Amino acid sequence: MEKERNITSMIAAGLLALAAVVGAPERALAADGAALLAANCLSCHSAQGGSISRVEGQRKTPEGWQMTITRMQEQHGAKVSAEDKRRLIKYLADTRGLAPAETAGWRYLLEHDNNRVETIDGRYRDMCARCHSGARFALQRRSEDEWKLLMHTHIGLNPTLEFHSLARDRQWFPLAVNEVAPALARDFALDARAWKAWQAAPRTALDGSWRIAGFLPGKGAFEGRMRASAAGEDRYELAIEGRYADGALLSGRGVATVYTGYEWRGSVDIDGVALRQVMAADARGERMHGRQHFADSRRMGGALSALREGAAPMVMAVMPAQLRRGETAELTVVGSGLAGAVSLGKGVRVLEVVSRSPDRVVVRARAEGRDGLNDVAVGSARGKGLLAVYGRVARVEVEPANAIARVGGPGDAQMQKVGVAYRAIGWAAGRDGKAGTADDLRLGYLPARWSIEAADEEAEKAHDADFVGHIGADGVFVPGDAGPNPARPKSLGNTGRVNVVATVEAAGATVEGRGKLDVAVPDFVQRALD
Amino acid sequence: MSLIPDLRALRAAGAIAAAALATACATPAQKSATSDAEYLLTVTRPGLLHVIDMKTDRIARSCELPGKFGSGALVPTRDGRHAFVLGNLWEDVYGFELETCKLVFSARQSEGDVTVKTVQSLAVSADGSELYTVQNPVRRGADRFEVLPPRLAVYRIADGLDAKPVRSFPVKRRITKIAATAGGEVILGGADVEAIDVRSGAVRTVSALASWDRGPRWLTPDAFAMHSQGEHLNEYVMPYVTAKFADDRQDMASAEWWWGMSRVDLATGKAEAREIFPFEFVIFSLVADPRDRNILYGAFNTLSRHDIEKRETLKVVELDHTYYSLQLSRDASRVYVGGAGSTISIHDSGTLEKIGTIQLPGDMSTADVRVAWRRP
Ligand code: HEC
Ligand code: HEC
Repeated sequence: MEKERNITSMIAAGLLALAAVVGAPERALAADGAALLAANCLSCHSAQGGSISRVEGQRKTPEGWQMTITRMQEQHGAKVSAEDKRRLIKYLADTRGLAPAETAGWRYLLEHDNNRVETIDGRYRDMCARCHSGARFALQRRSEDEWKLLMHTHIGLNPTLEFHSLARDRQWFPLAVNEVAPALARDFALDARAWKAWQAAPRTALDGSWRIAGFLPGKGAFEGRMRASAAGEDRYELAIEGRYADGALLSGRGVATVYTGYEWRGSVDIDGVALRQVMAADARGERMHGRQHFADSRRMGGALSALREGAAPMVMAVMPAQLRRGETAELTVVGSGLAGAVSLGKGVRVLEVVSRSPDRVVVRARAEGRDGLNDVAVGSARGKGLLAVYGRVARVEVEPANAIARVGGPGDAQMQKVGVAYRAIGWAAGRDGKAGTADDLRLGYLPARWSIEAADEEAEKAHDADFVGHIGADGVFVPGDAGPNPARPKSLGNTGRVNVVATVEAAGATVEGRGKLDVAVPDFVQRALD
Repeated sequence: MSLIPDLRALRAAGAIAAAALATACATPAQKSATSDAEYLLTVTRPGLLHVIDMKTDRIARSCELPGKFGSGALVPTRDGRHAFVLGNLWEDVYGFELETCKLVFSARQSEGDVTVKTVQSLAVSADGSELYTVQNPVRRGADRFEVLPPRLAVYRIADGLDAKPVRSFPVKRRITKIAATAGGEVILGGADVEAIDVRSGAVRTVSALASWDRGPRWLTPDAFAMHSQGEHLNEYVMPYVTAKFADDRQDMASAEWWWGMSRVDLATGKAEAREIFPFEFVIFSLVADPRDRNILYGAFNTLSRHDIEKRETLKVVELDHTYYSLQLSRDASRVYVGGAGSTISIHDSGTLEKIGTIQLPGDMSTADVRVAWRRP
């Protein structure tokens, strides 16, 4: 019975297509890819040395390719079955993808972790990054000709682009073709050593047993184990077991596909909730890091890490990750094959081992000594800088520091509310005793009380904080309903600007941190990448 | 209000009369009204050109536009008898006889694999013989777009249906509103205001705006207009926004923000460009008061009156929603604010108080609101 329940939930999560593939015989990918391009694309594109026109001069992420093919379907009428599309994305991302080094620094877009202020070169900021993220183009590599053609595409798809504010104050199109495209071709070049090296590098299969740790909004921090069994064509079937910090158990199953040798995209159902995993594996296939988000609201999610379990024991994390001087507390050391004496580093005394298993050791410990990041060891296994020892929380940072939520609903899927999941990060002042300086010590995530307040005078006058929505004890901000609110001016509805305030109590002292939150109107179009 | 009983049933007639006026249309009394007829023209989705009688503020008739909506930019002829409308996704131009809704002109600008969009740029020559559009062509090849250079296209109105351009000349990109002068030029509203000779294609600068050379104390102006402003005074108005800096460091926080405009006399082709009043709120369209050309009205989220001689804002009232465009009655006693919704809001030009509403059967969106009467 247990098995059947899981199969139904997989279908519910939209994973039906997979079931068919897993059963099908494996096919040779390359020949398959060329044949797929020929069958689906040649009615408009021309064959070009085993590939096709336009594809030839580009490299992008799986989501980048997904976006292009979706446009072929929606704007140009290409007929591509869901199965062919899936295979084409895989083939194109494998053969014309980005090397790990090329996605570094921009992965937040793939992870849909978009509540951040991007750092974009001034020459691209107003020209390009005012309609979509800068990461959208930073996660592509093209020949100069292809960057130029993209400028033509922009006018072709959006004929009034040149008339917009921030476009009409300059000669947008000539600038885009003659200056921006050549700059892009230098900054984001098609031919790159990193990509050649990555293509030549041996691939590591990612099946096996992974120790995972992460955070899920509304649920909290968790740790567990994810078993990945190979299902052919870089696909894996997943079984996940674990527990949240409050002791509640979690379990789930799912599937994952690995693109370009390292881009892990998982689709899992954990206790009836559909989630997506976006991680990058390291070159040796031993660790993965990224984010897990809800399938139905991709902005809501949290970090996810995985460490491959081998013969050697390992320490992955300690929960909580900080211990105040003079305090006696229970800490859980998480890892695999844990055996032997527990050490929490200099100045921390392990008073008692409360319970232990190869996966986790619970201890009572007391910190003396100095502020710093301590190594945690169990027997021969050691995790570097996992435990923060501190005397005082000097400041609190709200994560994300800048966010946009969107009013939505009620009851209209097109106008889904977009909330924000908040966490509070504590910092100690560091050696100089001054908060906000370079030597501040990051203490990790701390429990906090959450509230909102008007962001400025104008927002205060309009009582924004009373209308925009509410933030729960779990740090999840849920925006208000879309549409007019009779109690407010028509143009406002439930939108507004507020500060999200995290209040952390530590040793009788109260420290507050603030983040800026803009509660805006719904965004009607959701693309593969924002 | 159900002004459109059944589109299909009336299609044969080519005209859709407002229910209340359906019978009046057929009476001879209506003909004699022609000489002093005063019409307000606008377009609503899905594709109706409304001829509104400004004496009664009711829709006299609604002419059916072929094709899809977009943009609804329109230009009446100087004699007030005809109007040309940009339709079908900003691509086609349709000309109507306003008294009958008869389709007298059409031009499909896109051809083959080249899609041609016009961004509000429509004008009729002073003698009513030629129609001008600025065309922005893009070729859509099998697997790529190719942006082609824009051009001024000249149509002979007498060519009637399915007309083709008789001449065309290269122009700059990003041109919106255009207007014809008495001297055979078309004013081109782009980053700068230019004029093109419709015979030779020679282009001269009328008002340097984006390319002005006023030194580091003045911010490069943002000159932009989507809607025609000034045909009732035979003038062309291109508003702009700029900032005057306190010193050469161009500090935005301490800058003085100004509205300005290039004002072209369509009789002479001469222009004056200068700052007109402080920038305090967004205005999408401006029109001048025929009784005193120094008095201007502006609309967007507010309706406002300004004295540009004194460089002052005289009065501002909040509007119930956003409007894009505005016009004055011929005697300038009333302001008609429209576009961006399905109602035209009527205001007293003295107090700016709302005195009436014209409910239209659809959304005007980007459409123009323009006046048609026999002009001198
Ligand atoms: C019905 C015609 C048609 C079909 C079928 C078609 N395309 Fe395209 N393709 C176009 C057009 C038109 C463009 C140029 C405009 C654009 O980029 O949207 C284009 C552009 C592209 C580009 C360049 C996009 C960019 O961002 O610069 C790529 C890559 C591409 N196509 C891939 C494909 C693939 C892969 C297929 C088959 C799955 C395909 N196309 C099928 C018409 C088509
Ligand atoms: C007016 C808004 C706007 C501006 C300005 C703009 N873009 Fe885009 N861009 C879009 C839209 C809309 C799409 C999505 C097309 C689609 O639906 O696939 C897009 C798509 C893209 C893509 C993905 C295309 C693909 O299929 O792989 C890239 C890369 C890109 N833009 C880069 C740029 C660059 C570089 C600039 C500056 C020169 C720029 N954009 C400026 C609106 C804009």
